[in-house]
Formats: sequence, structure tokens, C-alpha cells
Amino acid sequence: MAGLISLVGVAVLAGTVLVVTFVISAWFGRPIVFGYDDGPAQPIAFPHTVHAGVGPLLNADGSPRLDEEGQPQRVNVMSGLGLDCTFCHRMAATEAAATIPSVGLCMSCHVTVGDGNDEIEKLRQAADTGTPIDWTRVHRVPDHVHFVHEAHIRFFTERDGVPASQVCSTCHGEVAAMTTVRQDRSLKMSDCVDCHRDNGAPTDCTTCHY
Amino acid sequence: MGEKSWGMVIDVDKCTGCQACVVACQSENNIPINEEEHFNQRRAIEWIRVERYWEGEFPDVKARFIPILCQHCGEAPCEPVCPVFATYHNDQGLNVQVYNRCVGTRFCANNCPYHVRFFNFWEPEWPETLTNQLNPDVTVRSRGIMEKCTFCVQRIRRTERESERDGVDLDDGDRALSPACVNACPTSALVFGDFADPESKVSRLKEQEEKEDGRAYRLLENYGTEPSVVYLKKVEEGAKSASHG
Repeated sequence: MAGLISLVGVAVLAGTVLVVTFVISAWFGRPIVFGYDDGPAQPIAFPHTVHAGVGPLLNADGSPRLDEEGQPQRVNVMSGLGLDCTFCHRMAATEAAATIPSVGLCMSCHVTVGDGNDEIEKLRQAADTGTPIDWTRVHRVPDHVHFVHEAHIRFFTERDGVPASQVCSTCHGEVAAMTTVRQDRSLKMSDCVDCHRDNGAPTDCTTCHY
Repeated sequence: MGEKSWGMVIDVDKCTGCQACVVACQSENNIPINEEEHFNQRRAIEWIRVERYWEGEFPDVKARFIPILCQHCGEAPCEPVCPVFATYHNDQGLNVQVYNRCVGTRFCANNCPYHVRFFNFWEPEWPETLTNQLNPDVTVRSRGIMEKCTFCVQRIRRTERESERDGVDLDDGDRALSPACVNACPTSALVFGDFADPESKVSRLKEQEEKEDGRAYRLLENYGTEPSVVYLKKVEEGAKSASHG
């Protein structure tokens, strides 16, 4: 009998722990136990580290990528390319959607750069056949939320006097250091509203919901 | 934002009942296609509709038209009855419907004397050929929630943002700011603008027509709803008209 009672006690305790974990996770708007995953696999393994990063290149596990002589590998003599975010995401500073670059923009370099790389061959094939690349979306807000990149970038660039590309990491994290892009903030409504309150931005519902 | 009071002046005398406003609204705001069955069930969704009625007896009968949309009442009867604050009045004089808050009690529609709130009894569906014409700036409302005219708030927001970006003053005669119905009206019977600005077109029209011999009236004014839509009555043929000649 005592065994049965203790068994029920253990079950209740386990249930409570599960529920509390769920509630706390929901409260913080993020999976606190497992954290965010590493982001979805993309049809072409596009490394932001090479294009936007300025440091030595890293492997997916964070260790420095070495060349044949055992030296840290760099895109050029100095580092990664260090491209401005708005070089590819052209509309981020002027319109609502940041936009993904066309295959043509990629090809303006990769028509000559990157021979022998399998991923770049995929890109060239897409350009030859005229098929767009079916990127997997990483950052997505629900359909009833209308987020405008331009207004946010304008506010932070004017307030801090920095170029547009230094504002992006506020919400997107250090994308330049990500081999695979993953979500860095919860992007839930509380996340948005807290920031709007802190910065004196309007909190009327029709600011985002219409 | 703020210090605005958006409103509309509708000149019934200019309205020919052509339904261009209705079509423009349907396509701008992702309104589901109303079929015969929906009308028969009184469940058709029309954020703006042109009501037609007859005046007089045959053969001296006259067709009359009046466009009716959400009046964005200052004392809106729909607002206090919502149990979840899905509808409220914002600081720009708009009666707002927040889709993601709505739980679909339909109290607001029952309390609205103008019949301008519509409930989504079905999941909206478009034929495959029309899915790419949906307006990305407007939420597609799913089954079970209420919707109504927003004065095309997506256009107001976009124009406000673009004028801030380009550092120009918000011009309330701007076609990008006006709701789709106003832009579509071939006789300019609908005028949209800011009542808080005494120099705006709507304010001047209202002031001019609210004089003693003016034509201004508001729908069901005696209910005390204080609508933001001002109607200008029809001019009768042969009647003396002092305010406009």
C-alpha cells in the first residue's frame, strides 16, 4: 500500500514539474530547457560567416576552420568579406520587407568566384536553369503582425548614429557569426511591446495589427 | 501618430450607385468572395455597401443610393460590449478591430445600429487563380472572428511612415493615404481626411455644410453615436439650393 502511495506521489511530482517547466518556458517565450535549435537546413549551405563576417572562418562547431597548412582559413588576407547586410538584403533600410537577394545578385560574384565548391555549383545551376532558390524562412511573425524593417532601422540609426547594418543584430543576433542562421530572440509580442515601451514607440494595436 | 481624427464626408448627391467603392474595398481588404448563398443567409461581408431604395410611387419613382460603411463612431456602441477589448477607439479617431484578440462573441455586431460589422462564418477561400492578388498588407481573417471597415489603416500607416522617411508633411489629399473606396469613386462623392485639422478638405466641407442651410447630416444621429462619417444630403431637382449653386 505504501508502495502504491509513493508511486502516485512520484507521478504527481513528475507531472507538476512538467507543467511548471511548460509554464515557465511559455512565460519567457522560448524553450528554456533545450534553447533554440541550430536553425533549419537551407537548400544551399550559405555561410553568413564568409559573406558578412569579418573574423577568421569558423566551422559549424565554432572551432577555427584550418587550411591545408594548418593555418586559420580566411576569405581574403584579412578575414571574411564583411559585406554590409543591406548589400544583399537591399530593401531593409527603405521598405517593409528586407528581401532575399535574387540569384542574379549572387552570380555577380559567383560567376567567377568559388569554382569547385559543391554549394556554389548548386547556385550556378539555379542561375543557368532560371529557377529561384527555395530558401527556408527562419524569422517569421504571424500573418496578423505587420513588421516594417525600414521604420525600425531608421529609428536606431538616427538615435545611435550608426549605419543600418549595425542595427540588424538588435533583433537578429550576430548573424555574421552564424554558419546556419537561427533565431536569436523570441520575437513574441511581449518582446516587441517591451522594446516599444522602452523607446517611446507607439503601442497602439494598429501600429502592427491590421 | 496622435492628434488626428480621421473621418469621411460622403456627398449622396454625387453618388450614382456604381458600386466601384464596393469592388475596390473587396480587393484592397482581402474580403472573401460573396456568393448568392451568403447573401441569402444574410452573411455576406461588405465593409462598404451601396444601399438602394425607391422614393415615390410608380411612375414618379426615383432610385436613391447611399454608401454605408463603418461610421467610426466617437461613442461607438460596439466597443463597450466586447468582453476581450478586441474593439476599441484609438487616438486617431479610428474604431479598431484587433483580429488576434477577437473571440467571436458577435456582441459588437448585434449592438451596431448600422449593420457594418461582419462575422466570418466560414474559412475564407479564393480560387487558385486569385490567391496571388491578396493584399499582403492586410490580414486574412480566419473563421470565427469579426471584421469591419478600417478606413484602410494599412494605407494610413504606410503613408505616415513614408512621409516620415522622406521628411515631408503628411498631405491628407494624398491618394496613397485615402481608403480604396475614396480613390475608386468616379464622382468623388467620398472625401477622406483629418477632422482635427481645420484646414483639411473634410473639415472645410463639414463646416460649410453644417451651416443653417447646409446639407450635412449623420446617420442615426439621435442615437448619440457621434459618427465620424458626415453625409451631405441629396439635392432635389427644382428645389431651391442656396448653399451650392
